[in-house]
Amino acid sequence: MASQTVEATRTRDPHPRSTARGPHEDSPAVKWVMRVLVVAYLFFLVAWPTSLVAKNTFANGFQGISDALSDPDVVHALKLSAIVAVAAVLINLVFGVGMALLLVRFDFPGKRVLNALIDVPLSVSPVVVGLALVLVYNGRYGWFGPWLEDQGLQVVFAKPGMIMATAFVALPLVIREVVPVLEDMGDDQEQAARSLGANAWQTFWRITLPGIKWAIVYGVVLCLARSLGEFGAVKVVAGNVGGESTTAPMLVQQKYQNFQQETAYSVSFMLAFAAVLCLIVVALLRPKEGDKK
Amino acid sequence: MSIEVRNVTKRFGDFVALEDVSVSLPTGQLTALLGPSGGGKSTLLRIIAGLDTADEGTVTIEGTEATNLPARKRNVGFVFQHYAVFKHMTVAKNVAFGLEIRKKPKDEVAARVDELLRLVHLQQFSHRLPSQLSGGQRQRMALARALAVEPKVLLLDEPFGALDAKVRKELREWLRRLHDEVHVTTVFVTHDQEEAMEVSDEIVVINEGRVEQIGSPDDLYDKPANDFVMGFLGEVTRVNGEAVRPHDVDISTAPVLAGAAQGTISRVLRVGFEVRVTVLTDGGEEVTVQLTKAHANALGLHEDQTVWVSPNPGAVPAMSRAV
Amino acid sequence: MLWFSLLVLIPLAAVVVKAGGGGWETFVDAVTNRQTFAALRLTVLTSVGVTALNMVMGTIIAWVLVRDRFPGKAILDLVIDIPFALPTIVAGLVLLSLYGPNSPVGVHASNTRVAVFLAIAFVTLPFIVRTVQPVLEEMERDFEEAAASLGASRLTTFRRITLPTLAPAIFAGAALSFARGISEYGSLVLLSGNLPYRTEVTSVRMLSYLEGGDTASAAAVATILLVVALLAIVTLDVIQRRVARRG
Repeated sequence: MASQTVEATRTRDPHPRSTARGPHEDSPAVKWVMRVLVVAYLFFLVAWPTSLVAKNTFANGFQGISDALSDPDVVHALKLSAIVAVAAVLINLVFGVGMALLLVRFDFPGKRVLNALIDVPLSVSPVVVGLALVLVYNGRYGWFGPWLEDQGLQVVFAKPGMIMATAFVALPLVIREVVPVLEDMGDDQEQAARSLGANAWQTFWRITLPGIKWAIVYGVVLCLARSLGEFGAVKVVAGNVGGESTTAPMLVQQKYQNFQQETAYSVSFMLAFAAVLCLIVVALLRPKEGDKK
Repeated sequence: MSIEVRNVTKRFGDFVALEDVSVSLPTGQLTALLGPSGGGKSTLLRIIAGLDTADEGTVTIEGTEATNLPARKRNVGFVFQHYAVFKHMTVAKNVAFGLEIRKKPKDEVAARVDELLRLVHLQQFSHRLPSQLSGGQRQRMALARALAVEPKVLLLDEPFGALDAKVRKELREWLRRLHDEVHVTTVFVTHDQEEAMEVSDEIVVINEGRVEQIGSPDDLYDKPANDFVMGFLGEVTRVNGEAVRPHDVDISTAPVLAGAAQGTISRVLRVGFEVRVTVLTDGGEEVTVQLTKAHANALGLHEDQTVWVSPNPGAVPAMSRAV
Repeated sequence: MLWFSLLVLIPLAAVVVKAGGGGWETFVDAVTNRQTFAALRLTVLTSVGVTALNMVMGTIIAWVLVRDRFPGKAILDLVIDIPFALPTIVAGLVLLSLYGPNSPVGVHASNTRVAVFLAIAFVTLPFIVRTVQPVLEEMERDFEEAAASLGASRLTTFRRITLPTLAPAIFAGAALSFARGISEYGSLVLLSGNLPYRTEVTSVRMLSYLEGGDTASAAAVATILLVVALLAIVTLDVIQRRVARRG
């Protein structure tokens, strides 16, 4: 996605290189067909449907949103979503950076396997994620569940489980942002710091962290977008215990199926708005990094 | 002795980077570790710095047993080929880094940074970011940063390797002057024999993980211990089976020298003030002769001319002398 | 490391153990259940179809984003990421608003297999685009220009030079896209109607097992999904090597 920097500068270029290019440039016809095809495809598949959510939400002006916000269920669900998402993001921040460092800076047996496994959460069904967590952590027959419950910690059908499910699903995002930057940075600067007398902690805080700062910010923003919207995994782990553990995406489903479409659209719009906002933040931040280099 | 390296061996998997290497470097000297790429010289430097650890052997720095000491406790200054500047810090902050780590009082740090930036002629750039500096300036900043902590030894890993030829030559002279001023024991790695000969007091030639020879630049040039050292320190040609430097070959247009080999000039090449002549001897050798333009003109050398070549009697063939 | 094990590895292992623990019989029962089989078949076939579409469209989109210039392209770039960031349930609602009962264009695709296809195409859109794009950007035009200067036609250049270079990225993206496709849940809940035998996908089927308290069967289906995903990744990797070598 670093492309956005490149794109921006290219579009601004007053003398596009294409004019000077030789006869083997794509023919204009092919170019137009491709361009129209892509725009149409994206328009029908993504842009138009997404904009319709906004339209449906504001069909009666701000009435829909304000109605939704005065519904205690909605407020509760949004709050719960926010809490779960923030907790999951914090966990992924700490462990994501830790694992990225582990993967890039250290050699250990099984590193390649671990590297491959990092992407697993991206390609496992959310329902499977939920199921997996339930099997291990539920209070009655899970592997660790009963013991944890004896310690007074209920995981499944409670917030910790929902946070874990969310963290599971969004785990690769921070790691995948930080790893390439760490690789790119190399370890010269860290070695220089060590030769100047810095210990591991000082080296991390003063040298490594400032270098990967932006990658962490992108990772966190993407992670937040994903966490706010996680549905399947959280639904399985939260169980059907009513309002207490309903997150915003689950509420959308309930409201829609109860024919309270306006509320469903309003909550959807808020979620979609947050997601798109995250994307825009990332898109705006990226060029900055390009300038700094 | 400032740095004592004893029987150090280092392997990377099956590859032996250093094999039973022992070197001792006296205090206050500027020493070059010279050798071809991949010969193990950088590895030796990194082991001295504590950035790599030896598989076997010991390292002593200023009398302190340092073999198992981490890099940060060895008090060495290290300068990297690609500068390893801290990109997000200003020049002054970079230089101050080691002092801040040591929790020195602020005014002392400021004064020391100022002094060092003056020493490396960067005082007017103190508030710039490294990305706004040229390669040569960055390397000078890295040097100031390494010197800031008053290291017992200064280690430079191919410090000028990433710079272009002109800047490289300037910095080389500057490093020599700096060393004469600061007098810290300095070791630098290079694969450029000219750089090593010009700057250092002593040269350690390292090849394929072993020390080939240790000595002053003159010693190495005039009395190379073996073919490798001779070949690495300068050009070599063979006359009557003897290895000689091209500028130590006498050439004449008549058979006046006893034992001279007769041959034909196949090529005359003028490079600035010098002339390189290639002679094919009747014995089947291809001899390269290096002489000044004036000398060549006086002899009136041209291609297809018959000439006689012999080693200059003043230049003792390398291999005949024990070192 | 420990956290990763607690969060990801042990739970996934638990699924497989659970599936195996029920004995071979539960496994066979769950899998040969007609409704489950129909769900699996629908999920896998649709994902194959969507992945094939993505391989073509994704590459074209990446191509346009990298090589073409026109006003508004930055927005296009942003639009690509929407399916990734949008909550899946919202994605379902989004598609429902255009292709559902109140569609402004009069298409009524909800509760049909077309809807399943649409939903999966929506959520998997970014994968191939985002894997191909950086490779295409780094690829030197010199390559293609050299081929052209040697007399290759545009088509030959594309087939012999461009495509083999992009192949690893396309297939890596396809693997992700397929894995995501067979595991999709959220966007389908509202859109597909989840009609047994017709539009019910595997994830929904698993959930109904779970809600019925039959964790063993759910785990069995989950294991099959994991195996299918793994097989797909391996197969695509093999094809990818072939294509790259043929170039």
